[in-house]
Amino acid sequence: MAGAGGGGCPSGGNDLQWCFSQVKGAVDEDVAEADVISTVEFSHSGDLLATGDKGGRVVIFQREQENKSRPHSRGEYNVYSTFQSHEPEFDYLKSLEIEEKINKIRWLPRQSAARFLLSTNDDLRINLWHLEITDRSFNIVDIKPANMEELTEVITAAEFHPHQCNVLVYSSSKGTIRLCDMRSSALCDRHSKLFEEPGDPSSRSFFSEIISSVSDVKFSHSGRYMMTRDYLSVKVWDLNMESRPVETHQVHEYLRSKLCSLYENDCIFDKFECCWNGSDSAIMTGSYNNFFRMFDRTTWRDVTLEASRENSKPRASLKPRRVCAGGKRKKDEVSVDSLDFSKKILHTAWHPAENIIAVAATNNLYIFQDKAN
Amino acid sequence: MEFKLEAHRIVSISLGKIYNSRVQRGGIKLHKNLLVSLVLRSARQVYLSDPCPGLYLAGHPGTPALPQQPGESVAGPPAGWGEPPPPAACAAWPEPEPQLELPAVPEVPRAGDTEPAATVTGAGDTLQGGEAAAAEAAWRRVEGPRETAVGGAGVPAGGSDVFSQGPGAARRPCGCPPGDEDKSASPRVDGCRAPRPAGPEPPVPPSVCPRKRGAEGVGGGPADCPAPGSTPLKKPRRNSEEQPGGAAAEEEEEMETGNVANLISIFGSSFSGLLRKSPGGGREEAEGEKSGPEAAEPGQICCDKPVLRDINPWSTAIVAF
Repeated sequence: MAGAGGGGCPSGGNDLQWCFSQVKGAVDEDVAEADVISTVEFSHSGDLLATGDKGGRVVIFQREQENKSRPHSRGEYNVYSTFQSHEPEFDYLKSLEIEEKINKIRWLPRQSAARFLLSTNDDLRINLWHLEITDRSFNIVDIKPANMEELTEVITAAEFHPHQCNVLVYSSSKGTIRLCDMRSSALCDRHSKLFEEPGDPSSRSFFSEIISSVSDVKFSHSGRYMMTRDYLSVKVWDLNMESRPVETHQVHEYLRSKLCSLYENDCIFDKFECCWNGSDSAIMTGSYNNFFRMFDRTTWRDVTLEASRENSKPRASLKPRRVCAGGKRKKDEVSVDSLDFSKKILHTAWHPAENIIAVAATNNLYIFQDKAN
Repeated sequence: MEFKLEAHRIVSISLGKIYNSRVQRGGIKLHKNLLVSLVLRSARQVYLSDPCPGLYLAGHPGTPALPQQPGESVAGPPAGWGEPPPPAACAAWPEPEPQLELPAVPEVPRAGDTEPAATVTGAGDTLQGGEAAAAEAAWRRVEGPRETAVGGAGVPAGGSDVFSQGPGAARRPCGCPPGDEDKSASPRVDGCRAPRPAGPEPPVPPSVCPRKRGAEGVGGGPADCPAPGSTPLKKPRRNSEEQPGGAAAEEEEEMETGNVANLISIFGSSFSGLLRKSPGGGREEAEGEKSGPEAAEPGQICCDKPVLRDINPWSTAIVAF
């Protein structure tokens, strides 16, 4: 059930036509490291959009309400608030530097019995915090071995189940996903379920382990599925089936023959995220050259789009892009060797209810909407 | 052969990454270093399982491909990815001379050899066997601490130090202030390592390795501070009295991690010195004790566990990064 790679029909499925809406951020060629966006997240209603950057700043955008005198401004996101959330710290005792980079932003539900949040700053532990108790937390997962020499994997991502507050998943650098039920034991070192797809021995390489490391895990809104992102693909898992994913979509399979170069320039360590649309019928993830990919799970169509300043006229339609993996390059195709690996889209977000997407391209935030919106 | 070339390149790149991770802002990233160590292990396994063991000691450019040395059994085709090298690979290494002579060193590529991996040393040099065996042993330790490439690279020591060469060696902070002409191998407080998420225990002393190795048999010397742009491996070599000065000087410029075969051969010859010499000043006692059995059982270097522990400096050199 592998998804087809490459270009597809000129929409993300469901007859969508994506158009440019807005772009935020400086146009400068020289991007300051601090300005690189490191996380993007819509609020639960979609009216607010938050970004965090490597400099520790958070910017919150708010969607404009409908305004008859300015009909086209409806749906525009404008800055609502910005603040410095984290500062760099230095622990002199341990000679340890704490980066101010914002790794994740999560909106808390406005009305929810859940008053907990997960923190996974550490590669080896997951702690559970009660919002009203800030001086201590519960440790629910700890994979630190007694002897660090025996360390073979680290935690790479974790998430609560959207509906069952006692269920969480965490992914590992080995490509496995563990589902834990906090009701069954206080310390969730032993998983309730282990999701792992056997590797393909025929495609084994030096880098097989790196590219199988899961960089992101997201539950579907329904709570029935979860999606994992590894370096070359996104996989959709049915929580009821641990043996293999129900869907595998190739994001940029043409990179498989370039893994050595990507290892050399560190791109192979890039942690791409992925996201679901509101109805769980489509998924989106980023790639290089400021490309991002959408996969329609119903029609099985996929499309590659680009976030670029060149194509940023208001309501300009996005043209599907194609990458030529080899052989004769057709017109409008981009060859693999001319991809700009410094332009990577790691963070994307999809409005929970509408076809509005936010795509972070280094220090710029692009907002695209479906024409019908 | 292509596998071997690629493996060689990947090992070089990996070592460079581990080294650079020590000086980058934010400290050593556990996840990334873990992945790099896995790649290092895979590449090393392929490297070892290649049926051209002579390639280790990359020789002069233009040297013909190595024909099998007399008495050397033919190793099978490269083992599958991720599989341990077949026993034949170990057996392929000829018995090293118990007393390795300096002339073995000339096998080391001269200055200007940028990719000696492409060539192999001339066959028939019986001393080469010793080098090969020592190099093989050196590589063995890459396997051992593959996780501790991470652990040594700054993960809070879980209490044990895989590179411990003995109870005394463990847990002493690695010291490597530049220009510190320490005559002994006693580790110093690390003044120049990048911040690490170290726990309350003293940091593992992996970067003591170059210095220790130097102290073991070649007169000791300052540990190399991994200042950006330099490579710790220079120091022990510089202090090595085993190596002809010419090769040593020429080698320095090659010591960028891009030339791993050089490193192996250099370490190899120094290990041969290790085998022969009694411990140098300040050298860990444990090492001194173990050099005996190692020298006594050269043929088993690649498989002997005590030997693996014994030849720590190589592994700590890697982890030092």
